[in-house]
Amino acid sequence: MTELAENPLLEGLRMRRPPEPCAMTIFGASGDLTQRKIMPALYALAFRHLLPESFGVVGVSRTEMTDEEFRERMRQAVIDHARDEFSTEIWETLAGGMHYVAANFGIEGGEEELVAALKDLDETRGCAGNRVFYLAVPPEAFDDIVTAMGRSRPANGWTRLVVEKPFGYDLTSAQELNELLRTYYDENEIFRIDHYLGKETVQNMLVLRFANGIFEPIWNRQFIDHVQITVGESLGIEGRAGFYEKAGAVRDVVQNHLLQLVALTAMEPPIDFAAESVRNEKVKVLKALHTPGPKHVVRGQYGSGYIEGEEVLGYREEADVAADSQTETYVAAKLYVDNWRWADTPFYIRTGKRLPKRETTIAIQFKRAPHPPFEADLESPLRPNVLLIHIQPDEGISLAIGAKVPGQGLSIRTVHMDFVYGGAFRIGLPEAYERLILDCLLGDATLFTRADEVEEQWAIVDAMVAPWRRDRPHFPNYAAGTWGPAAADELLHRDGRSWRRH
Amino acid sequence: MAVALGSIREIEHELGQLRDASTAPGAAPLLRTSVMTHIAWVPERWAEQARETLLGLAERHPSRTILLFPSPDEPDDVLEGEVDFRCFVRGGHEKEVCSEVISIRLCGRRSAAPASVVVPLLVPDLPVFLRWRGPLPFGAQELEQMVDVVDRLVVDSREWADVRGDLARLPDLFHRVAVSDIAWGRTLPWRAGVADLWPDVRDAAVLRVAGPEAEAFLLQGWLSGRLGREVRLEHERAGEVELVEVDGREARIGRLEPQTSSDLLSEELEVFGHDRIYEEAVRSFSSAPT
Repeated sequence: MTELAENPLLEGLRMRRPPEPCAMTIFGASGDLTQRKIMPALYALAFRHLLPESFGVVGVSRTEMTDEEFRERMRQAVIDHARDEFSTEIWETLAGGMHYVAANFGIEGGEEELVAALKDLDETRGCAGNRVFYLAVPPEAFDDIVTAMGRSRPANGWTRLVVEKPFGYDLTSAQELNELLRTYYDENEIFRIDHYLGKETVQNMLVLRFANGIFEPIWNRQFIDHVQITVGESLGIEGRAGFYEKAGAVRDVVQNHLLQLVALTAMEPPIDFAAESVRNEKVKVLKALHTPGPKHVVRGQYGSGYIEGEEVLGYREEADVAADSQTETYVAAKLYVDNWRWADTPFYIRTGKRLPKRETTIAIQFKRAPHPPFEADLESPLRPNVLLIHIQPDEGISLAIGAKVPGQGLSIRTVHMDFVYGGAFRIGLPEAYERLILDCLLGDATLFTRADEVEEQWAIVDAMVAPWRRDRPHFPNYAAGTWGPAAADELLHRDGRSWRRH
Repeated sequence: MAVALGSIREIEHELGQLRDASTAPGAAPLLRTSVMTHIAWVPERWAEQARETLLGLAERHPSRTILLFPSPDEPDDVLEGEVDFRCFVRGGHEKEVCSEVISIRLCGRRSAAPASVVVPLLVPDLPVFLRWRGPLPFGAQELEQMVDVVDRLVVDSREWADVRGDLARLPDLFHRVAVSDIAWGRTLPWRAGVADLWPDVRDAAVLRVAGPEAEAFLLQGWLSGRLGREVRLEHERAGEVELVEVDGREARIGRLEPQTSSDLLSEELEVFGHDRIYEEAVRSFSSAPT
């Protein structure tokens, strides 16, 4: 695209320029992620005319399917999962450039057929040799795909590689994976997805902090007592025992989403919103992050209990889960960021399956007023101010403040001032995958995770789980539908604090 | 029919009553949300269109909306106000989001002093947008007053009878208020299409536009201003922009979705600050020899 400096006619055009022509290959095209997230996101982008006019999709997986069967399956996925109404016209535009290749890379080959399909898209749809390879497959399959496609890079055009989590199992495997990717691709061609970073409220975290003068002066150890970050899910493992038994909560959520939320909360202001500037600041936080010891990490596993009035099984009773499984479905930890801004300010994080509700929040709890003159007259002590950032559901921000109850006498009650995203901006919030796929097509890596970030995250997780090898916990230790094991409460009680009430 | 409210105090009181009444005991609280004060100046002939636009707009831009209906020929110098809540259930949530709509008929000489009516009703600390329906009465007291109250004036030069004359006078307002023009918004895909012809249009001499006069003039002003040199306009009238050619090269645009008046205004309400390129286009057009 011609740069603004060269083309004065581009200045002031408010429309976002469409991405350049390209063909996207989805590895794992018959999988759940493709049907629930990737294809609905592509449809949403097509619906808003945000895809390039010359665009094609090639689905790749082991399942035998014809092009027509693949299109029909994707059409149904869009009908079932897209946020927009189904438009035959839009679908046909998208489906017109859609093909399918049944292949099992590394075992039965198939790369020639894929390369031929992509070349065909270049000729028929004008995709210009530009490629996006989306790896929606388990990490075991990365090697064969990356090697095969890395060796057959087209002479013309750019190539971008989108990598889904889990990105490794520990620091060593993540380093090996990074090394593999770098054999064929430059770091700026690799887009590691953490879909949390595509959420509007997560991005708004940066705006809240760095576009509002009132927060930054108090965003430090002097005014903030502690931070609580919760990623709660009421669902169980939803038939993913094969993955979850190996990963557990720490690898499924802590290593990526939770540590990214910590980094965004604690990072210093970047010099601009460019990819490298933002990621540099996040890496600094991750490097400074540590947990003070095994006593400050709590793990749990749910037993049977009740969710929304319905009795649910315990983790060990779920299909394909070992009867004596030691996999954690809950993790809580106290973390410290060793720098001037945050020294001695704890960040309490927790995540779990089968908690009472689905909720992701960042709660910034401020220190109490230094000398409340009303204390003697009050029946209950003053509560501290809390800035609550709701990531999901109900995206928004609320501030808890003390206010006088009208009437005689002095009674103070905590009230919430709410900013609800959907109330102020009545446009539908884009799904995280829409934003991330579009950014990838545009070559903007700001909301993707860099290699050193991933490695720092694994280093923290490795340190957290290392003591777990030595002991066998008494699982299950919390009932489904509760907020986790008693030890998690104890983690905060020891510091004279408690998890915030929901 | 509700009794018209005759003063700002009565309007404010009624707003408070509505707010209280809408919070039924035990019910989920309403979220009263505003991101701006949106004023619309609506002479009688534009009333119906304005109401239609508003219906499609409020949900996207929750704001305190003040509709001003000037009726200078009425014998009595009075205000006739009505207030209403427009509430929208948020998808999947219990809470409703509500915004306030205040309609005020400015009768007789009251229509000449609208600023004194709206200033007490502005939401503090939020931007104030004024959609002025129809031609701008340059020099008239009502326009002069309102321009000093608002942050952004939104017009549609397609609504003007004398587009050339009014565009020529418009730059007088640029130093006082940021101006948005819905007709300018309609040219956006065409400008992008012309920009895609760069660098072949670097030395453009002739711009051919089939479309409304306002859009054609603005495109001429834009291209001349951007290139720093006059570009001659060949204009064919049409209801919508159908063709833009630069020295015989056709600007190609993507699929154009039909946009309602609410869509168009909504886009302008998302723009803050001066649009330097628009101002340059208008100045460039108005300074070109006719």
